[in-house]
Amino acid sequence: MKSGIKYTGIPSEEELRASPGAPSRERLEQGPVAFIECVQDIPCNPCEEACPFGAITVGEPITNLPELHGDKCTGCGVCIAQCPGLAIFKVHLHYTETTSLVEFPYEYYPLPRKGDRVPCGDRQGKYVADGRVVSVKNAKAHDGTAVVGVEVPKACYLEVRTICRKEWSRHG
Amino acid sequence: MAENRETIYICRCEEVTREEIEQAIRDGATTIAGVKKRTHAGMGLCQGRTCRKLIANMLACSRDPANILPSTFRPPVRTVRIDEIAQGDEE
Amino acid sequence: MKMTQVAVIGAGPAGLAAAIEVARAGGLVTVIDENARPGGQLFKQIHKFFGSREHRAGVRGFHIGEQLLAETERLGVEVLLDSPVYALFPDRTVGYVHGGREIFLKAEKIVIAAGAAENPLAFPGSTLPGVMGAGAAQTMINVHRVLPGKKVLMIGSGNVGLIVAYQLMQAGADVAALIEAATQIGGYGVHAAKIRRAGVPIHLSHTVKRALGKDHVESVEIVALDSHWQPVAGSEKILGVDTVCVAVGLTPLTELAWLMGCEFAFVPGLGGHVPKHDLNMETTVPGVFIAGDISGVEEASTAMEEGRLAGTACAEALGLLDGQKALELKTVIRERMNALRTGPFGEGRRRAKECLIGLSLEGQA
Ligand code: SF4
Ligand code: SF4
Ligand code: FES
Repeated sequence: MKSGIKYTGIPSEEELRASPGAPSRERLEQGPVAFIECVQDIPCNPCEEACPFGAITVGEPITNLPELHGDKCTGCGVCIAQCPGLAIFKVHLHYTETTSLVEFPYEYYPLPRKGDRVPCGDRQGKYVADGRVVSVKNAKAHDGTAVVGVEVPKACYLEVRTICRKEWSRHG
Repeated sequence: MAENRETIYICRCEEVTREEIEQAIRDGATTIAGVKKRTHAGMGLCQGRTCRKLIANMLACSRDPANILPSTFRPPVRTVRIDEIAQGDEE
Repeated sequence: MKMTQVAVIGAGPAGLAAAIEVARAGGLVTVIDENARPGGQLFKQIHKFFGSREHRAGVRGFHIGEQLLAETERLGVEVLLDSPVYALFPDRTVGYVHGGREIFLKAEKIVIAAGAAENPLAFPGSTLPGVMGAGAAQTMINVHRVLPGKKVLMIGSGNVGLIVAYQLMQAGADVAALIEAATQIGGYGVHAAKIRRAGVPIHLSHTVKRALGKDHVESVEIVALDSHWQPVAGSEKILGVDTVCVAVGLTPLTELAWLMGCEFAFVPGLGGHVPKHDLNMETTVPGVFIAGDISGVEEASTAMEEGRLAGTACAEALGLLDGQKALELKTVIRERMNALRTGPFGEGRRRAKECLIGLSLEGQA
């Protein structure tokens, strides 16, 4: 099967590496940072306006890919809920000695609660590892798009992008 | 026509099957109106809104789709009760 | 007989936007819609829109609908609901039915913004209860708050199929799979990524062979297609689902434009036969304008821009706006519209549109 967003609905490693929205490895080492997984030229730019630090630029035409400026990004996570494509994540590689923090948009009920242990999934919803929910942000300005932060084993910071909803509800 | 597991309804309002439309095309129908005259497909409650496109697709197998026009539209083009429009404008 | 300056048929995003522009210029405008509620399909769009700030990107569709309604109300636009338009006459009289009576409305200009209808798919079992249009399923979950079924197969990977699959899961249904006959996903990757993250497989080069069930869908058989679109024997798979949603495109609702004698062009990229129109959205019949999906199926954002364009052009033609002012307004609208028609997804539509407008202008020369 061919890989790539057009064939699988999942951005391939190459697509992510080539995209201006993914932070460099060096930047990831330095601290929390946005991870933009938007790899097609669609007419869209709310992320550009959402970032209070000017760390995302789309420019003209608005079909340009969003570009992340790692030096300006503070890792505040404000942009996550403003992206209609739910394509922005936040990654804090060295959250602790052994864990990373991944924040992702989440629009399903019930929402997890801080402290919950949840099964975390990758871009195809496949179980990767258990994680601990450290934050659930759902401010009015999010307009229904909650942002969930999970602490996961360091090895899977590039993989974890969601909660495995079905497994989770089965756990109760 | 006997219904079985393989029966495909093209016009569900008038219960016209794919085979009946194919037969109409073999009999010489080249337009949506031609199919309609032979099979009643498109004469149902929805007035062809559902089946028109499917019939056009079937005709397109043998003709350039650009030349497959819908049959002539006449009022009423929406489902209205006849007594509603028989009374006339009383305003 | 009732009189108005501009009659707008359809109270969806295109129609309301057109009416707002006419009213803003001081014109008398009447919007007529067959539904009980205005807003067209906007009120079932619970997702955030794309585009830029001027297109209200990041705002959920139904909020855009609320804003449009507030604006029409503020401007005192007359909106007639539960009023199907069943005929248009050459002297620009609109015939519609309301409260069991036929009413005629005479207008100086007409804007047809009737929208589009979902394309059907015929296969054995396609008339079984449980097989429905994706748009219908979306109305059920987002407007009426009823779940069409517990386990769904979605057919079609355009944005409608992807978005509705996602929303069905948000509403509590399980989506077993999404199948697509083509060799690639039709809609935006970001929409596809949402349902993939939720664990939904997307099977390309697949179609539905039959839906099975006694009085209702109980399962569905899917099959792979080869490069000639022929089913691959032995590749059949049975999925246990109770609902099949069909999202295989939309066709412009053009009956009223045919009735008016508008000239049509065949543009597959826009959904088939569409009325020819110029840069002002005016058809080949003077005084008759079109806007939204009827002029070629696109997104709600583009429909609103087309509505604004048609409304502004009507106001200009009625002498409510001077040429200079109208040109300024129209230029801004056209720029916004073109911004939405860029990139790999918009490019095709922009070219199809240009071809349509080119054909129309040719006819006039
Ligand atoms: S995380 Fe904060 S600083 Fe970084 S791009 Fe997003 S909004 Fe800007
Ligand atoms: S807002 Fe999201 S979908 Fe839109 S361009 Fe930015 S990252 Fe892509
Ligand atoms: S499906 Fe043919 S008339 Fe309704």
